[in-house]
Amino acid sequence: MYNSLFSQLSILGASLALLSGILLLWRRNLSSYVDAFQWQSVVLSGLFVIVGYFDHNPELYLVTVIFIALKVFLIPRALRRMQTRFAVERERDPYLNVPSLLIVSGMLVILAYAVMRPVVAISSLPTRGGLPLALGLVFIGLLVILTRKKAFTQVVGFLILENGITLLALLGTYGIPLIVELGVFLDALMGFLVMQIFIYHLHGTFESIDVDHLNQLRH
Amino acid sequence: MTFLFLLIPPFAAALLAGLVRPYRSWVGRANALLSLVPLGASLAFISRAVSGAPAPTFGPNELLRADSLSALILACVTGVAALALFLGPNLNVSAESAEQVRRYQIFVNLFIAAMLLAVSANNVGIMWVAMEATTIFSALVIPLTLTKASVEASWKYILIGSTGIALAFAGTVLAYFDFVNLVGPIENALNWPALMTNASALHPEIIRLAFIFLLVGYGTKAGLAPMHTWLPDAHAEAPAPLSALMSGVLLAVAIYAILRWKAVVDAVVGPTFTNQLLIILGLFSITIAAFSLVIQRNYKRMLAYSSIEHTGLICLGLGMGPMGIFAALLLLISHCTAKSMLFLLAGNILHRYNSTKIGQVSGLLKAMPWTGGLFTVGLLALIGLPPFGMFVAELALFRAGFAQSNPWLMAATILLLTVAFVSLLRHLNKILYGPIPEGVGAGENFGWRTALLFINVAVLTTLGLTLPAPLVTLLNQIIGIIVK
Repeated sequence: MYNSLFSQLSILGASLALLSGILLLWRRNLSSYVDAFQWQSVVLSGLFVIVGYFDHNPELYLVTVIFIALKVFLIPRALRRMQTRFAVERERDPYLNVPSLLIVSGMLVILAYAVMRPVVAISSLPTRGGLPLALGLVFIGLLVILTRKKAFTQVVGFLILENGITLLALLGTYGIPLIVELGVFLDALMGFLVMQIFIYHLHGTFESIDVDHLNQLRH
Repeated sequence: MTFLFLLIPPFAAALLAGLVRPYRSWVGRANALLSLVPLGASLAFISRAVSGAPAPTFGPNELLRADSLSALILACVTGVAALALFLGPNLNVSAESAEQVRRYQIFVNLFIAAMLLAVSANNVGIMWVAMEATTIFSALVIPLTLTKASVEASWKYILIGSTGIALAFAGTVLAYFDFVNLVGPIENALNWPALMTNASALHPEIIRLAFIFLLVGYGTKAGLAPMHTWLPDAHAEAPAPLSALMSGVLLAVAIYAILRWKAVVDAVVGPTFTNQLLIILGLFSITIAAFSLVIQRNYKRMLAYSSIEHTGLICLGLGMGPMGIFAALLLLISHCTAKSMLFLLAGNILHRYNSTKIGQVSGLLKAMPWTGGLFTVGLLALIGLPPFGMFVAELALFRAGFAQSNPWLMAATILLLTVAFVSLLRHLNKILYGPIPEGVGAGENFGWRTALLFINVAVLTTLGLTLPAPLVTLLNQIIGIIVK
């Protein structure tokens, strides 16, 4: 099964998505984060089309269109606008240095393989090889949120985590029921807009988007 | 039909506040009255459930469904929502605060609508969508007045809340994956009754994995330690009515989501797995909360940590079999009644004293006799003194624990509750007595705003003195739903 074109394409796509997530761990430049996220979304859109084609599922094409509009165009554009606003701010040293972050991320991917073993074992889908990579991407997103100091980077980490879950649903079940999918997109859009508003609030009140400055509330 | 009365009024209220520009105080009055309609609808659901009729459903693929469990939580949500809207900052609005109040009305009503949808959704995917929406709308209300503290609190809330809930979605996807593998991609695959019917055929290892994600995710929203860090900040910085809603019922809604999934997982792997996880997280939450209560210097944060303590207690109960679940549900009702009242009163205190520091609030009984008196009653109810409902609930919890022969666990819980008890009483003592600080006026009139809170007192006392037969029927039905 692993030899079919479909399964090879899906593993390739999942690997590319994971790599673009790991990219966030060593770059400092805020604009390179947006690029990484945008490319990852492009890869995911491609995977949507591939799964839609091989599964003969026209519903997925509709989902692809919404996904592209949201994650390839709208959100990266808003991120770029924010990033030009805060152009002076570069990401500072994360709570862990880059080599150890990369080691941790490697361990997280291994963990993802271990955790997903029963899932891959019961699945008969040609896409199942990519499932651990999708969970790995979820873990990488969490790692970015936990170790980065700029609110901006945390948002990109969150978006990557969302992409990881989308990938998981796509490879594991060829997408979730349409009505839930639409709700998820709506939430993703609203959630992003609110985070964007809050980053402007942070910049307005703290004159920085550095979360180290958030120390008003203790105990 | 009843579902329309449940869900349309909050959307209509949000729409009304959005359309009427500039904001007029009749909008607030109209929205408060509108909030009584969903309350009536959920009481109708309860009476229907108690009469033994099958759970009503609505919409294509039975999109909405209200069994006994939903009905109980819906009644809690709509009750507190009505209280919050009647006592909210919506009447007598000055020109400069009009825009703020308008936005407050929009987002709070959308927040309420999202909670009601989460509890009445039959499809666990829709339940997730609505849960995420509750984070988004409630977060928007916190920084209505931009201060460093409110901005910080709202940022932590949206980031931690959204991340946590995203993990719950990963859990939902995993469970769906297992289900689809089994029965194929049918349209109502994520409907809760369908999950329950086919549970015995699901794969234990995958469902266990899914539940861990779900528990971490919804547990974040419920304020379970160690995912609780956003909670004291958000509850303390939110405007009083929003705190009442978040602490009183949003936590209950998150627990509801955990309970729905617990039922599915238990049907697959037996109750031991979820029970152990719930007991561990519950006990850890009570521990963190009890010791944080000792060092509290802010009365709103004090109430917030007490919410974490009660979430912990409720989870402990849920992990202790049918008797424990009975106690947990009683705790949930009492907590939502007492905490909503306390947060609304905390709003009055903040308004008068202009400070949330316990050290700067003294002589409350002299300065505000009604608020002070009710605050005392609420806090005494909260720490579990008779004749209030929490006392009976905690007693039931201990009985369940000892019946399950968990004496060490119960001893630890009692010890921690004593720590919380003593520190809450010590803080209360500081607030109630002593001289009134300079510049703080004394005296308070009895008005309808005060009178409304006597409903909460009445509920708490009733639950403490007697268990009404319909309530017992309802709770037993819920236990029957969860424990198969």
